Amino acid sequence: MSIAIQLRNLLRSGIHRIGELKLQTDVYGYPYLICHTADAELSTEPAFGGLEHHEGPTDARELSTYAEDGSYRFTKGQVNLKRGWVMTLENEEDLRLALDQFYPACVGLFLAQQGGTLEIETLRDKLNRQTGMYRFARSISDAGAQKLIQEVCGPAHQCAKKILWQLDAGIPLDDSEASRFNGIPGNLPEQEAIPLLCREACNHFVAECRKAAKAEFEAKSGKA
Amino acid sequence: MSIAPKPTSALLIVGHGSTENPDSSTPYFDHADEIRRRGLFAEVHCCFWKEEPSMREAFYLLDSDDVYVVPDFISEGYFTQEVIPRELGLTGPSTEVRGKTFHYCLPVGVHSSMTDLILRRAKEVAPDIDPATTTLIITGHGTGLNQNSTKAIRDQVDQIIASGAGYASVIDAYMEEPPFIAEWDKLSHTPNVVIVPFFISDGLHSYQDIPVLIGIENAVGAAASHREVFRHNPHYVRGKTLYYTSAIGTERLLADVILDLVHDFDQLHKIL
Repeated sequence: MSIAIQLRNLLRSGIHRIGELKLQTDVYGYPYLICHTADAELSTEPAFGGLEHHEGPTDARELSTYAEDGSYRFTKGQVNLKRGWVMTLENEEDLRLALDQFYPACVGLFLAQQGGTLEIETLRDKLNRQTGMYRFARSISDAGAQKLIQEVCGPAHQCAKKILWQLDAGIPLDDSEASRFNGIPGNLPEQEAIPLLCREACNHFVAECRKAAKAEFEAKSGKA
Repeated sequence: MSIAPKPTSALLIVGHGSTENPDSSTPYFDHADEIRRRGLFAEVHCCFWKEEPSMREAFYLLDSDDVYVVPDFISEGYFTQEVIPRELGLTGPSTEVRGKTFHYCLPVGVHSSMTDLILRRAKEVAPDIDPATTTLIITGHGTGLNQNSTKAIRDQVDQIIASGAGYASVIDAYMEEPPFIAEWDKLSHTPNVVIVPFFISDGLHSYQDIPVLIGIENAVGAAASHREVFRHNPHYVRGKTLYYTSAIGTERLLADVILDLVHDFDQLHKIL
């Protein structure tokens, strides 16, 4: 069964949220409608309550690339999705295409997790594959990495993904708000949302590891 | 050249991406949209080294069991020979990975049709100047890490010279290895110079770094998407008339190059 059909079935089973997106079906004759969850009430009013109407998935990249203040959303797990628009979609294939722009691969990752086929990689595995200027990131200490997770990850720091990875085989993350977060912003029951899953540390986190590793090195070698 | 529809295959376009520059991945998505519109593949996706979805996440995007992987990269080198095969688990031209067969095509930059795209872009930016009074410079990153990274550009230079396009001179120049693009005026002996950045996107290098190196900007500016207009040509600088184009990868016809690479793969490996 294709990812799109499985997505359709998820919506039929009561799923209506992914990240900051509200997913709706059969709105004014449109099979699917997505919008920022904070705009959900407006979106069902006549003329979509004045929200900007985007037909088809084409504009999903533009809508998901910049925050309200124009800043680049360098990771799509950020909880600063722009408001003020609705997107209507003709079928589940287009819905899937749109969701893969807002939350890349997240539907497929969730389905793989449900099916027991999702492969997770540890932070050390990710860091050890970095080269060039990011090679230095691998020298971060375990304690430094644990601290960084609490300073960079989780909804308090703008990322709404559920961390699935460990620091290394047999080294779980320290307990924190970031490590406990379930990938569903807004305290929704788990059966109503597709969680955002983090199967590998993102490149933003790798970049932060590099900075922290350099700071550790300089501290050890007595530099300011 | 046209390819037969592949209704049971996926196309996976692989790019570099960036967590700092929003324009870095735009061409990849544009190329994917263009190919998707043509309805040739069951599905078309992008994945990246420095952006989401990652290459390892790409596996979870795919419904199809047959997947063509095209590196939307400018040269054969570190990324296409080491990073992409490692990240996707590829060991040869066709590799079975967890029940799916991945066909690994050559990167776009090495395809012979890139020559026409360069000439077309050079003509567009400077339609009224005489090639006989013009030096055409193809510029890239260059790195001491991999000799292949400049080969694609040197090959294009040779092909343009052989094409009889009529330029007084056609040369290569780089950001980080000689001949340096920063010395473009010393490398050219004509009053007119056209510089074509051999990059996929108008990202950090072609839109922000090189303009400073060649003297048409004083400082690294905002990302391309945050400018109201593209740079105005020509620039009168260092005693010459300089035309600077946007990156070659932003050319819409690059979608055709991607399809050509799939076609070439099938021909070479007898996939019918």
